Amino acid sequence: MKQIENIPDRGILLFKSCLVSVEYPGIESSTTYAFDKLGVDYLVSDEQSCCTGLGYYFDLFDQMSTTAVAARNFAVARKNGYTNITTMCSTCYAINKETCALLNSNEEVRSNVNTVFENAELDDLTYKQNSLDEVDNFYHVVEILLSKTQNIGKLNTIDFSDVHVATHHACHYYKVQYDDMIGNPNHPLLIDTIAKSCGADVVEWYEDKTLTCGAGFSQRHINRKTSLEVTHAKLESLKNAGVELVIHMCPNCQIQYDRYQPVIEKEFETKYDFVHMNIAQFVALALGADPGKVCGFQIHSVPLDKFLNRIGISV
Amino acid sequence: MTDMMADEMIDTLSEYDTPICDTLAETVKKSLRTSDTIGIDRCMQCGACTASCPAARFTDYNPRKIIKRVMENDISVIEDESIWNCFYCYTCHLRCPRNNSPTQVVQVVRQMAINKGIGLDKLEVLFEYGDAFAELGVSKIPDLYVGQMEDDFDMRWHEFKNNLDSVRSELGLGTVGVKDTGRGEIRAILAGIGFFDRQEKMKQMAEAELNTSDEKGGITNETN
Repeated sequence: MKQIENIPDRGILLFKSCLVSVEYPGIESSTTYAFDKLGVDYLVSDEQSCCTGLGYYFDLFDQMSTTAVAARNFAVARKNGYTNITTMCSTCYAINKETCALLNSNEEVRSNVNTVFENAELDDLTYKQNSLDEVDNFYHVVEILLSKTQNIGKLNTIDFSDVHVATHHACHYYKVQYDDMIGNPNHPLLIDTIAKSCGADVVEWYEDKTLTCGAGFSQRHINRKTSLEVTHAKLESLKNAGVELVIHMCPNCQIQYDRYQPVIEKEFETKYDFVHMNIAQFVALALGADPGKVCGFQIHSVPLDKFLNRIGISV
Repeated sequence: MTDMMADEMIDTLSEYDTPICDTLAETVKKSLRTSDTIGIDRCMQCGACTASCPAARFTDYNPRKIIKRVMENDISVIEDESIWNCFYCYTCHLRCPRNNSPTQVVQVVRQMAINKGIGLDKLEVLFEYGDAFAELGVSKIPDLYVGQMEDDFDMRWHEFKNNLDSVRSELGLGTVGVKDTGRGEIRAILAGIGFFDRQEKMKQMAEAELNTSDEKGGITNETN
C-alpha cells in the first residue's frame, strides 16, 4: 500500500494522455499550473508516445506490442532523468504499472523487447531489469496533489464551503492494482480529501460511488445503449445525493459524464443540476487559475458559467 | 483435451496472449494478459463478480458463468455474444475473494474468439488505430466512433474540435504528437514486435469473413 509521505514531488515525468490532449486539454494546463504553484519539479516530453491503452482495451493491441511501446517511454523517462512517471489518465497509470511489472519479472518479455530495440539500432532504449520499479516510479496526478493538501488549503482563494461535492475515482486507478493505491479501494477518498482541504462540503459516500462511469472502452461504441444505461444509473445516484459539483480524475470518465450528460438528459427524459470537472481543474481554480485560459472550461458540454458565477468567479 | 479441440486451437495470433495449452484454464493462466497469480482454479462460484458487474446489471453477461465454462473447458464460450459486453472496469477483479479476475479471463477469451475470426466485425473499425499510432505516436479514436460522437455531442464539442490547435495554443499547449524522430522509432518497434503482421492477419480474416457472409447473402456488421 502506498503511503502519502512517500509520494515524490521531484523528477516527475508528466505523462501526456491522448484523451486529455484532444478532448480536455484544460486538464493538462491545469495540472502544470497547479504543479508550478505547488513547487513540483516536473517535465513534459515531446518524445513520449501514448501508452496504447485504448488500443489494448479495444482488444486490438497484444500485450507484447503494448509492453514494447511502454519500454520506449520508460527510456524517455530515464534519459531525461525524470523517472517518476505521473499520469493524468487512469488507464495510462494501469498500463504503465502493469508493463513495468512484466518487464521486471519476465525475462522472456524483456529479452524480446530488447532484441527488437537492438535490431532497430535503438540500443539506448534497452530495458534493464528493475531500472524502474512498478511501485515506486508510477503515480497518478491525484496522488501528487493529495500529498500537497496542506499547501493547497493554504493557497486556496475560493470559498467552497457551500458547494456540495461528490467524487468519482477512476476504475483503472484503484481497481486494477488495488493493493497499491492510497487508501481503501472499497471506499476511495483521495479526491474527497483534496476537495475538503479547500473547504468543500463533500459527500463521502453515495449509492453507486464505485460503479464505473460507463465508458467501457468499446462499450461506448458497440453497446451504446448499455453504456448509457450505466452512466444514467450513476448520474441518478449523484442526483439523489443532491450534489452541485462532481469531481473526477480521468479524461475517459469526463467524456462519459460531461459530454454524455446532455445526451442522457434527452434520451432518458431527465434533468441534472450538477457540473463536472477534473481534480486538477478544481485545484488550479482554487489556486487562482483563469477558468478559461488555464482550466479550459469553455469547451465542456455542461456549461460551468452559472456555477462559477455563484462561487464568485467571473467568466 | 480432445483432438478436435487441439485442431481448433492451432491458430493463435499471439502465442503470448493466447498460448496453445491443453485446457482453457491453462491458456488463461499462461497468457501475458492475466496476472501470474490469477486464482481461476480457486473460483468457488460465489458470484461476487456478477453481483458487482455493471454489464450484468443491464445485460445477460454473467462473469460467474463465463468463469464456470472456462473451468469446464467449454470452448463454445468464445462464441457467446455476451463476452463482448464486459466494460473492463475491473470491479470483479477487485471484489473477487479468491484472487481470480473474470475481466482478465474475458480479455483472453475475446482474443481466442478473434483467433477464430469471431468478433472481427467489431474490430475492423479499429484497424486505422494502429496505423495512426505508428504515424503520430498518439492514440486516435476510430473514425466510425468519432462519427457517433459527432451525432451525439453538442455544438460546443464541434466548435472545440474544429479549433483544437488554437484552443490548445490559448491554453499554452503545443501541437499533439510525438517528435518526428520518435515516430520513426515507434514504427520500427511495432514492426519488429510483430504488431503489423498480426494486424494484417486480422484484416485478411475480416475480409474472408465478409466474403463468406456475402456469399451467404448475410450481413456481418451488427452494430447497435
